Amino acid sequence: MTQQEVPPGLIGARVRRKEDPRLLTGRAQFVDDVVLPGMLEAAVLRSPHPHARILSIDVSAALELPGVFAVLTGEDVRAACATPQPVVWRMIPDQRMTDQYALAVDKVRYVGQAVAVVAAVDRYVAEDALGLVEVEYEVLQPVVTLDDALAEGAPLLYEEWPDNVSCRQTIPKGDAAAAFAEADVVVTETLSYGRQMGTPLETRGAVMSWDPFTDQLEGWMSTQSPNLTRDLLGEVLGLPVDHIRVRTPHVGGGFGNKFDFYGEEVLAALLSKRTGRPVKVIEDRLESFVANAHSREQRIEVSVAAKSDGTIIGMRGTVWAVLGGQLATVGIGPCWLSMALMAGPYDIPNVEATVVGVVTNRSPYGSYRGWGQPKANFAHERIIDKLAHELGMPPNEVRRRNLIASDKFPYPSQVFFYDSGNYAECLDMAEQAVADRGWAKRRDAAAEEGRSLGIGYSFHIEISALGPSKIMNQAGLQHSSFDEEVVRIDSAGGVTVRTGLSAMGQGIETALAQVAAQTLGVPLDTVKVLHGDTETNPFTGYGTGASRGAALGGGALLRASTRLRDKVLRIAAHILEASAEDLEITDGVVTVKGTPGGPSVTMRQIGDAAYRRLDGKLPDGEDPTLEERDVLDPDNVAFSYGTTAVLAEVDRETGRVELLDYLLAHDCGTVINPMIVDGQIHGGATQGIGGALFEEIVYSPEGQPLTTTFMDYLIPTASEIPTFETLHMATTADHIPGGFKGMGEAGTIGAASAITAAIENAVPDLDLRLNRLPVTPPRLLDALTTATPKDPS
Amino acid sequence: MSTPTRTGTTVSMTVNGEQVDRHVDPRRTLSDFLRRDCGATGVHLGCEHGVCGACTVLLDGRTARSCCTLAVQAEGADITTVEGMADGAELHPLQEAFWKHHGLQCGFCTPGILLTVQELLADNPDPSDAEIREGISGNICRCTGYQFIVDAVREAAAVLREEKTAEVE
Repeated sequence: MTQQEVPPGLIGARVRRKEDPRLLTGRAQFVDDVVLPGMLEAAVLRSPHPHARILSIDVSAALELPGVFAVLTGEDVRAACATPQPVVWRMIPDQRMTDQYALAVDKVRYVGQAVAVVAAVDRYVAEDALGLVEVEYEVLQPVVTLDDALAEGAPLLYEEWPDNVSCRQTIPKGDAAAAFAEADVVVTETLSYGRQMGTPLETRGAVMSWDPFTDQLEGWMSTQSPNLTRDLLGEVLGLPVDHIRVRTPHVGGGFGNKFDFYGEEVLAALLSKRTGRPVKVIEDRLESFVANAHSREQRIEVSVAAKSDGTIIGMRGTVWAVLGGQLATVGIGPCWLSMALMAGPYDIPNVEATVVGVVTNRSPYGSYRGWGQPKANFAHERIIDKLAHELGMPPNEVRRRNLIASDKFPYPSQVFFYDSGNYAECLDMAEQAVADRGWAKRRDAAAEEGRSLGIGYSFHIEISALGPSKIMNQAGLQHSSFDEEVVRIDSAGGVTVRTGLSAMGQGIETALAQVAAQTLGVPLDTVKVLHGDTETNPFTGYGTGASRGAALGGGALLRASTRLRDKVLRIAAHILEASAEDLEITDGVVTVKGTPGGPSVTMRQIGDAAYRRLDGKLPDGEDPTLEERDVLDPDNVAFSYGTTAVLAEVDRETGRVELLDYLLAHDCGTVINPMIVDGQIHGGATQGIGGALFEEIVYSPEGQPLTTTFMDYLIPTASEIPTFETLHMATTADHIPGGFKGMGEAGTIGAASAITAAIENAVPDLDLRLNRLPVTPPRLLDALTTATPKDPS
Repeated sequence: MSTPTRTGTTVSMTVNGEQVDRHVDPRRTLSDFLRRDCGATGVHLGCEHGVCGACTVLLDGRTARSCCTLAVQAEGADITTVEGMADGAELHPLQEAFWKHHGLQCGFCTPGILLTVQELLADNPDPSDAEIREGISGNICRCTGYQFIVDAVREAAAVLREEKTAEVE
């Protein structure tokens, strides 16, 4: 393993994004902007019942409506598909799988499950036709909550199962029983994390065009994982992958919701095959709230065993995953990760954590930025706070006593090897910043005015740079997790990078261009990054998620560009009659080091020598063209980390919480573009704030979703969000070229833990323990009313 | 593709300075009309129930939610979409400021926010940060956390004030 040092330059520079002029002028193409000749539009009929048997479906009236071209039902889909909808994360070998198709067959198991689909001349007519499809249901008793599902004699979602439990797994480290037996103090907490989702502002959609004469399928999809999507389309539709082309225009936000592989893409493909025309399906927002993967909801039981000085010697926990009516693409994945990372950044020798996956009549559970980590964080940070309270110690002293020391890396956790970090320094940095900004004084001064301000902290870790493929396969992933990048210099010296990653707002075009430009020594505006087409771009394993893009894409591109630079220098050395070791490239011009104004050769001349006028310029034995590819399948994942500090004000009359200040000290190794990193942290933290205070998918006792508009599901607006401050340190990932670590999910992970701690800190006169998210005003008001006053002594 | 019905009606309006006359179905939304019949695909649909603000356009100089407006209701109106903001190939100062300050990530909400801010600055050329936040609180951005948008608006306001002063002088 080598220390990764990148000299200052474009890597680390706050440059403007290359993608922005398109996006700012309305010229960027999103999937709903794709229009093909003869294209039809589809609409999906969805179940109004949480749990029902389908007795019959009559589509005849819908088919007769002028403008309708085709209607499909579940039986049509099952007959046309080679496999059910795939589940790629299979960590638990004996898990009961749900094996469902893109349209329900026999039974529906959540409100919003697709039952039939219509292709018509446009969406208006397709929706008219939905009203003409007659479905007869036998309504069954719904299983709405976790407790409903686990109750003795509960109705079964899958009648062939003995109960509603899909899977259960315990992963131990050390001897937790012995640790709990010898502890001075044991604290226990039961936490509830609300059901939430990513809600990218662009809903999901696809345009599929199936050529019935050649069985070539061309698709435009708003997806984070184009290569995975192509492979899964191939499996489900029984097509060779070389028959499938997935194009990904600009993605209007992903947040994990667009990582997963959904049935609507399959439906559009089958409708196109049936009609011989391209078919577009774009979900509306109401559909999105029931048809996109839900996330986050868990009940977590957690306890720690500690010595009286605050040293934690053991941890136990159980994650109850409130899965939906069927498994989504990532299966138990996110909830399994909550279990696997429950000890977080702490050096706990004995851990026993369990995950139990339980099916309910709710929408399927899938990916959302942070994956299992916000819940794991809530578990370890809430229990740290409770332990500190029990011991009468400041929470950060308990943290400091237990954070993994910098000399203990690589650190073997329950499941993963944490690669590197300097956790204590990060906590110190945040505490110092809070002191410098006088938060405690503000809190105390406000208290004298009768206001309730509080300061809360959390420490988070973030798994990033997801790989290595073979280990992930052993863990149950039915796909790879490497990244491939291609870089080419053309005949005029311009640089083109090809990537399999999707552009979904994270600035991947700019970040990759910075890596290539710095490594090759060319101006940033001579580098173009192409993405969004599986036919012409390289293969990215997994997808654009798990905070992989900058780390693995950047690392692979750095290696490819380094080799390409070597070739440029060999050609330049030949032209300049110099030794390649004596040359340098600056702003696209190769010169002999230390001879400004001396002989030089431009990148344009190098391109000409490699493609067009080779004679006398391209050295013998050197192949024409200038292209390199590289595949990075890392030896390990890379862990980023950070400390969140929040200054919050609680309105004790209304239960409303206002965030006055928000600070994040963060380490993601080598930073490619600090402006993009800050933007990712702000956006992630905003989603974390939403999850802590506002956002919840609520179901009625009858199993009806009550929050299917932006009037009911409350996404934070500019008025609720504070100004953020970010502080950075850089502990490089020495197993990743460039030392990059990912950071796309950072802000989401520790937000709720810090905010709940700040709320409790704001009411020091009450013994308030918050254990349920989101902390909405009614919930907080109730908690404030029922909390026991602290003994003033 | 426009819906083929016999109940269609003709609408006329100005879209980004161009006169447009089209035959449309009465139920066609203004957003669909702009996106599909006028090629203004910078009008984005985020919720189709009037909350997210992505579909915001200027209708006779005031912001309107084009998803909750019918095309026929815009008869005779002067419509500006994001496509009408730049001056030829030169970005509007607001667009320039959003670029400089990283006021966008996925860019889906951006057209609606730009037009909302254009109205905000027309009404209040020197807003405080709190007024900027209030002014854009009817637009949801799921990516940025708003801070860099606020920075961009603050700077654009200063640039536009200077331009105005220069014009007067």
